[in-house]
Amino acid sequence: MRFVSFGSATSVLATTALLLIATVPSHAQSRAETLRYVTGASVNTLDPNIPGSTRESFALSMSTYDRLVAFGRKQLNGKWVFDLDTITGELAESYDVSPDGLKITFRLRKDAKFQDGSPVTAEDVKWSLDRCVTAPILGKAQLLTGSLTSADQFKVIDPLTIEVTLPKPDKLALPNLATVYPMIINAKVAKEHATADDPWATAWLKEHTAGSGAYVVETFKPGEQVLLKRDEAWNRGSANKPAFFKRVIIQSVPEPATRANLVERGDADIVVDLQASDVQSLEAKGKLKVISTPQYNAITFVSMNNQMPPFDNVNVRRAIAYALPYDDMFKAALFGRGSPLYGATWTDGKPANGTYPFQQPVKLDLDKAREYLKAAGLPEGFSTTFSFNVGQSSTAEPMAALVKESLGKIGIKVDIQKLPDAQMSTQINEKKLPFYTEGIVAWLPSTDYFYRNFYTGNQRWNYSSINNPDLAAIAQEARFEPDKAKYEEAGRKLNAMHFDLMPQVMLWQPNQDAVMASSIEGYTYEFHRQVDYRDVSRK
Amino acid sequence: MRAGRRLLSSLPALFGVLVFTFLLMRVLPGDPAVFFASGPNAGKEEIEQIRKQMGLDKSVPEQLVFYLSDIGRGNLGRSMMTGQPVLKDLRERLPASLELTFTALLIALIAAVPLGVMAALRPGSVVDHGVRLFCALGVCVPTFVSGLLLIYVFYYLLGLAPDPTGRIDVFTSLPPQRTGFLSIDFLLAGDVDGWWAACKQLILPAVSMALFVIAPLARITRASMLVSLGSDFVRTARSVGLSWRKVVVTYALRNAILPVITIAGIVFSTMLGANVLVEKVFSWPGVASYALDALLSSDYAPVQGFVLLMASLFVLVNLVVDICYGIADPRVSIG
Repeated sequence: MRFVSFGSATSVLATTALLLIATVPSHAQSRAETLRYVTGASVNTLDPNIPGSTRESFALSMSTYDRLVAFGRKQLNGKWVFDLDTITGELAESYDVSPDGLKITFRLRKDAKFQDGSPVTAEDVKWSLDRCVTAPILGKAQLLTGSLTSADQFKVIDPLTIEVTLPKPDKLALPNLATVYPMIINAKVAKEHATADDPWATAWLKEHTAGSGAYVVETFKPGEQVLLKRDEAWNRGSANKPAFFKRVIIQSVPEPATRANLVERGDADIVVDLQASDVQSLEAKGKLKVISTPQYNAITFVSMNNQMPPFDNVNVRRAIAYALPYDDMFKAALFGRGSPLYGATWTDGKPANGTYPFQQPVKLDLDKAREYLKAAGLPEGFSTTFSFNVGQSSTAEPMAALVKESLGKIGIKVDIQKLPDAQMSTQINEKKLPFYTEGIVAWLPSTDYFYRNFYTGNQRWNYSSINNPDLAAIAQEARFEPDKAKYEEAGRKLNAMHFDLMPQVMLWQPNQDAVMASSIEGYTYEFHRQVDYRDVSRK
Repeated sequence: MRAGRRLLSSLPALFGVLVFTFLLMRVLPGDPAVFFASGPNAGKEEIEQIRKQMGLDKSVPEQLVFYLSDIGRGNLGRSMMTGQPVLKDLRERLPASLELTFTALLIALIAAVPLGVMAALRPGSVVDHGVRLFCALGVCVPTFVSGLLLIYVFYYLLGLAPDPTGRIDVFTSLPPQRTGFLSIDFLLAGDVDGWWAACKQLILPAVSMALFVIAPLARITRASMLVSLGSDFVRTARSVGLSWRKVVVTYALRNAILPVITIAGIVFSTMLGANVLVEKVFSWPGVASYALDALLSSDYAPVQGFVLLMASLFVLVNLVVDICYGIADPRVSIG
């Protein structure tokens, strides 16, 4: 008896040992097929359309849902970035734009299936696009910028064909359909969860997915982590294959130093939100791959409230533009990681081209600044506050100190004000801040879009509160300008006005520093400024 | 019976805390609707919509009435940040915080009481000065610095500790949830590897929290031991020739332990709310970091829920401390 039990104990031990040995390589195997992405932010909803959704939620939805079309990619200074001008099919096999530019017809892929196995039909597409323009969700405001405003514009021709009608030929209609919001939802499933109060199933889709994307959500813990599993049937990638990684782990790690440690030790595969100082030291060590892309659809500003004295005086704004210590700020805030939007030389005094953002011919010149102050009738200077939000303090804090020091030299006394993020956005929205730094980003970075959204109207994104009818009219007209040369001309005019009126000072475009294990390939800078998990693979 | 009455008598205080936090959140500048409507194209319409969704379009007294009636029905509201009901968030995160705090307190007590006793037995000696220096260091170094240092040494340099990302290695599967305390759940599920993995994650954050609270505990033990050792009954006990152990542990320490229990109770409550830095550094999914994130984004419901939770816990902890008094010193009864 005793002998038997002894034997079984040894065999248990032996089996355990065998199991241990057996699990080690398979664990390593699964690690190689897993992408672990760490971030300081977190995913808070599975439907990016929900107001308040985070950038991480945007990125997640790119992998869990498909759209009709997607942006292509191009190389910019040797780095892959998204290409606004190449629109490729995702769920659409092909699309045709009618000669008058008023009708876009999409032919759907025959083999496209939702994650539950049912085919993707034109009815699903119509329901999803209808939802985007009718339901009280974020997609509405976005699609508006592409002249997509009503459910009547989407028509089902046959189960695999859908037609979009536009009131005017709008360049941004097609690109808008490739953005985060107009994702294609499995209408049959979503409708089952719709209620009388919530006909578009927004409550249910916030916590569940019903898409045709490359990855299936396995577990979703808001504020902590999301686990994704590959959908083996998905074939909308570049080579008609499923996505590379079998599993993706999206994990929130609030402390930036910890994120840097994780990626350096090889426990995390890729991270895009490290502190500039950490990126620099990791790059210097040379063990990891660091891909720095200027965020060419984002800009950091020093903004002035054009409606509030003394900044309502153009000469005061010009004085500020010549009194900022650009180079020092660039080094202190970003360690020089970005592309500057100052220090250009315009030989004939005119902008070199019509694209926005552009480099302005401003530099630190205190004598010139003093002259402008004199011209504004304020030779003695004045007092003001300079605000920034807590969330940006790692870059804005050193910047603010340099602004204060430099403006002090021309008699402008600056008090630095550090505001919690919610307070800062409230005050910006209410136009109460005289002088502050903020950043913007545009998903569809075309010149007219920037000027229309960030330089017109009494709305939050018009940081400088500029109200110039001429500028607004030119930007509005440029939107529907089909002729490339004329569009370029309008852009030049707008840029010249920007320099002349100096509503706010463009500082730079910060880099997106993606730090990844050396085995990771295919990273592309996307319009939503996060990692698209479908892009990357491991060598 | 008495305990029940005590709980009842704390209800007005809880209600006061509730109303006060509610009003405080509304008085603070910062409009959550504007903050959460920050998609690249969010305009006035979106802001209004969020305001409505959060009930901010109503007057403050009306909001308060709605809030109180919701609380009465056990509904703490919904967090904008995580998109989940606050009650669910807190229920998921509280065990994480409690597990960490209990472990830290246990480590602190195990270290602090002997240190305090040793220091009290030989006041002015090298041991006493050593303990004083150790305590001073523990208090001077902020928890996030000690946390980062521990990570740097044990994770980054030595590779002994697992990566400091939350309660469990992402590749380990979780046990069925029973208590919410991972170390207990793993044991209940009979998963020893999982238990060890959870403990490894717990050690560093618990130690960095414990370092900070060893000082008050050790100092109070020392002071109260000094009084106790100098008292008549200890002199009597010594003079009748009782063993060292009996004198120090049974008579002196038992009489000296009351203030230590009081301080431990206060330390526990403080740690639970104030360990936000440790939670941040170790990505620990606890309630304190949750409340801080909510506060920064003016997300009212989670902050209010957190304060209510902390107030209730404080009441409970005080009750437990009183019960402990009774056990440590039968002369004391809960009154």
